[in-house]
Amino acid sequence: MATPLPQTPPPGPASRGDGRPRAPALTVVSLDPDRSPRPDKDWSRLLCAVAERQDRPAFAQLFAHFAPRVKRHLMQCGSPEVQAEELAQEALVTVWRKAVLFDPAQAAASTWIFTIARNLRVDLLRRRQGQEAADEPFDFDLLEGDELAADERLHTSRESERLRGALAQLPDEQQQVLRLSYFEDEPHARIAAELGIPLGTVKSRVRLAVVQLRRLLER
Amino acid sequence: MDIRHHPEDDLLLALSAGSLETGTRLVLSSHLELCAHCRERLRTLDALGGALLEDALPAPLADTALDRVFARIDALEAAVPRPIKVSAPPPLPEGARWPRALARCTATPWRWIGPGMSWSRVSVPAAPDAKVFLLRIAAGKYLPQHTHRGLELTQVLHGRFHDGRALFGPGDFDAADGGIHHQPVVQEGSECICLASLDGRLKFDSPIARLFGSLVGM
Repeated sequence: MATPLPQTPPPGPASRGDGRPRAPALTVVSLDPDRSPRPDKDWSRLLCAVAERQDRPAFAQLFAHFAPRVKRHLMQCGSPEVQAEELAQEALVTVWRKAVLFDPAQAAASTWIFTIARNLRVDLLRRRQGQEAADEPFDFDLLEGDELAADERLHTSRESERLRGALAQLPDEQQQVLRLSYFEDEPHARIAAELGIPLGTVKSRVRLAVVQLRRLLER
Repeated sequence: MDIRHHPEDDLLLALSAGSLETGTRLVLSSHLELCAHCRERLRTLDALGGALLEDALPAPLADTALDRVFARIDALEAAVPRPIKVSAPPPLPEGARWPRALARCTATPWRWIGPGMSWSRVSVPAAPDAKVFLLRIAAGKYLPQHTHRGLELTQVLHGRFHDGRALFGPGDFDAADGGIHHQPVVQEGSECICLASLDGRLKFDSPIARLFGSLVGM
């Protein structure tokens, strides 16, 4: 039996009678605005605009980019969608509230927003365990007199992009170990299942993946 | 401070990912506030979390989400970061510092548990069942030999002990789990004070030690 061939895609933009190219009916860009990702320093600049002059359009751009990612992250960590939506909104309110504490010389915007989402999730887990509503987890950036050595000032936007490069160079299995570590409800059990290894050996796999990542970063 | 013992990467990564229990997190945090080396290691892992967040497939929010967020922002009071309150710790010897990670915790006065041995229960407001405590042991004394059913973290605040594997001093961190059977001995010259957390029960070898275990509720 002959299998029908998949239809070939229509040829490029057809010409209208007036000779101008016709705009595509549905732009891919509107479905995936981040096909060509913006460098992290753009997000840092927007965060600074929020901190310095409560810049709402800047905040709206940050919201459009990060809120859906935070929501996905929380869903992957086990939050039902309604709760993930609520927490993602709360995370962005926190971003607004704490923007004055953001220091682009110390952290990439994505890192900073990640830690905010992480702390909210930790609070939520505590509440779910019936523990009373919580103070925020301890924030090392609030330590007075915590002077940073020069070599601690590495994780700026540029370094964050280096890190993504290093991550991409890791063997698939190690990338998977790291991803599951961050984006799973019970990471060790899941890593053991995905890799088909005993639970007792997960720790050493995690350590190995981190060592490899650090090695690539030191190059 | 000459810190020689540090947490392994799997613990730091679990801290970064937000998957540690409260007590475990507090002891680890009390190491980090003394140890620039580990703070730097943690920053790399947080940056990894950021990179993975950046790569996450966006999950669309409700159409009204941004408006609702702006409404909540309008309702915020002027945002001023709260200063950290330092709680009153039980008296510590000169040179020993109460970790700032425990700023919102309270601790009982020192309670006698045996010759040269006392302890203080640390209460974490957000997590009443977290098993966090301070141990104070005189020079030359040893802790009852024990193994662990869960994970025991120890951060040395003052003095030195040797657990048969290595020597631990101020700022040092140790993690022990079920595989480790140890009997820490405090070195001569100074008493030793440690902050510890447990996410399982200790298993003591002798009846007296078991009594100790039931006293501290571990």
